[in-house]
Amino acid sequence: MAEPIESESLAKRAADETAASEPVEQVAPDALGARVAALIAEGGQFVMLIGLDERSVGGDGLAVEAVVARPGGGLARLRARLPLEEPAYPSISPLVPAAHSDEREVKDLLGIVPLGHPDPRSLVLHEQFPRGYHPLRKDVPADVRPPDAERHFVPFEVHGEGVYQLPVGPIHAGIIEPGHFRFSAIGERILHLDARLFFVHRGLEKLVEGRSFAAALPIVERACGVCTVTHALAYSQALEALTRTAIPARARWARVLLAELERLYNHVGDLGNICAGIGFQPAVSRLGWLKERLLRLNDALTGHRYLTGVVAPGGLVADLDPHGLAALPETLDPIGVELASAIRSIVRSEGVMGRFHGTGVVSAATAAALGALGVGARASGLRLDLRIDRPYAAYDELPVGLVVASAGDVAARFHVRAQEAHESLRLVREAARRLPAGPIAAPLATTAAVGESSLGAAEGPRGATWIWLRAGSDNTIDRLRLRSASYANWPVVAAAAPGNLVPDFPLINKSFELCYACTDR
Amino acid sequence: MHGPLTVPLDVFDRLLRPLRRGPVTSHYPDVPPDLAPAARGLPELDASRCDGSASCVGACPTDAIALSDSVWSIDVGACIFCGACARACPRDAIRLGRQIELAVQDRADLTIERNWRAEP
Repeated sequence: MAEPIESESLAKRAADETAASEPVEQVAPDALGARVAALIAEGGQFVMLIGLDERSVGGDGLAVEAVVARPGGGLARLRARLPLEEPAYPSISPLVPAAHSDEREVKDLLGIVPLGHPDPRSLVLHEQFPRGYHPLRKDVPADVRPPDAERHFVPFEVHGEGVYQLPVGPIHAGIIEPGHFRFSAIGERILHLDARLFFVHRGLEKLVEGRSFAAALPIVERACGVCTVTHALAYSQALEALTRTAIPARARWARVLLAELERLYNHVGDLGNICAGIGFQPAVSRLGWLKERLLRLNDALTGHRYLTGVVAPGGLVADLDPHGLAALPETLDPIGVELASAIRSIVRSEGVMGRFHGTGVVSAATAAALGALGVGARASGLRLDLRIDRPYAAYDELPVGLVVASAGDVAARFHVRAQEAHESLRLVREAARRLPAGPIAAPLATTAAVGESSLGAAEGPRGATWIWLRAGSDNTIDRLRLRSASYANWPVVAAAAPGNLVPDFPLINKSFELCYACTDR
Repeated sequence: MHGPLTVPLDVFDRLLRPLRRGPVTSHYPDVPPDLAPAARGLPELDASRCDGSASCVGACPTDAIALSDSVWSIDVGACIFCGACARACPRDAIRLGRQIELAVQDRADLTIERNWRAEP
């Protein structure tokens, strides 16, 4: 590509991004819930509610900020200032159920009380943390361990004649992440599921405060092991918005290629995992071997099977390997054939599809109210995909085929995933074909002003992942929040369980295949 | 939908597929692993190029690298193989090599030391 065109489009993009940085609107704490609910009624999508300690950026108290994605791609950011002593505001969860977890988290980590919240139990900090310990307050040191408290976990239980409790986890029979699932059941049928997570809360958001933007990247990227491109993309885009940096064309297309490779190996592996949920071993093995081939492809292109250490603010850390790129088409062709064949053998098995159909149904209304994202949302008929709704990297030049289904059951999530895997194969090929020559990274254009904040987002294999980022002095992080797609989707899993048989829960769970590590952080 | 004749053919195909494919596993450790050209193994120091600028020490996100008057050391237990050290080095003295067999019996043995000052 000729150089002048490149720099012209860079300048245009930089101007666009400056114009696109969304201002923060100050609102009264009492008005927050009604305002957010009104934005959602206009077609907006709840993104997050974040708690802030303003003392590090010239303020004298705390604040909560609600972020809503508007239809058309813009963001609404509503911030309510709160006093340092007894900070509280009327809970928005009764009006906006999707904010349920966020509000419990803000209460734990900053001590900001959502008055009238329907479930005021702690979420992130388990009972060994003493009351009054709020680690994201700026005066709480990160390296001092609080004394252990003597509190006990009180699960949410349903009581009544014939109702029994079935505790599962946090240590499981398989090699999976820790979560405690408390089923209240009558006979085989689930009445209620209380999912307790945050066993692997590592305080990553506290850990990155005060670190340089560059030093925080490896931590944010590794919040979990299977969405590293998504995390790095969301973080890089937040920082690029903050510093008004436009990245070179080659980096934009390579980012698409990497993001689709990540979606592809995740979807292929997850299709196999769904079959593991009912013990259909032939498909597990076939798709497992297919996933392994995709991991080796990742390795050949980037030197890392899980694509870590490639995306960075400004573009890419290292260019894609030329040998891997040259071999890409002939590597992908047999993978596409094998994937189609494996899917066919599963769909033709009546014993398998009989278990998939009608299991773990999530209605469109429930999915929308709880803020479902990704495959889980699209399988329930919600037309949500950041690649289309808020295009980033080179997605504005590469139309993505949206895959939706309406049944909202395990079968719908299986089919959506299978079709998206094929679409990702197409997008990988297309991105590789259109990958322009040129530089892979640009230096960050400006220094972020202290207290300035921005958001970055990427559509990962499990849905939209968002990063909220605020700059401190000298290119350091004042506050960062990672709202992963899994975090938003966990309440949907709990809502999908009631009415189903207890032995179907592994199947329902695997049809979402959410991550614990990036939920817990 | 498949007719009465295609069903047994499909079953035969499924039975024969593993035979046609052959083994997909490798003979490691008898045969060395098939590393991708871009593979990121143990960071290696070329002592003849090192000028002791300690750029790598500052660039390492996990503080895995230390530099004294004569010794450059890396704690492989802390290294995340990101390659920041290699990119930061003004003299290209570090590269992520092809050594990936890093297991040791003792935690202390994960720290690898190199004399960075070439012997006079």
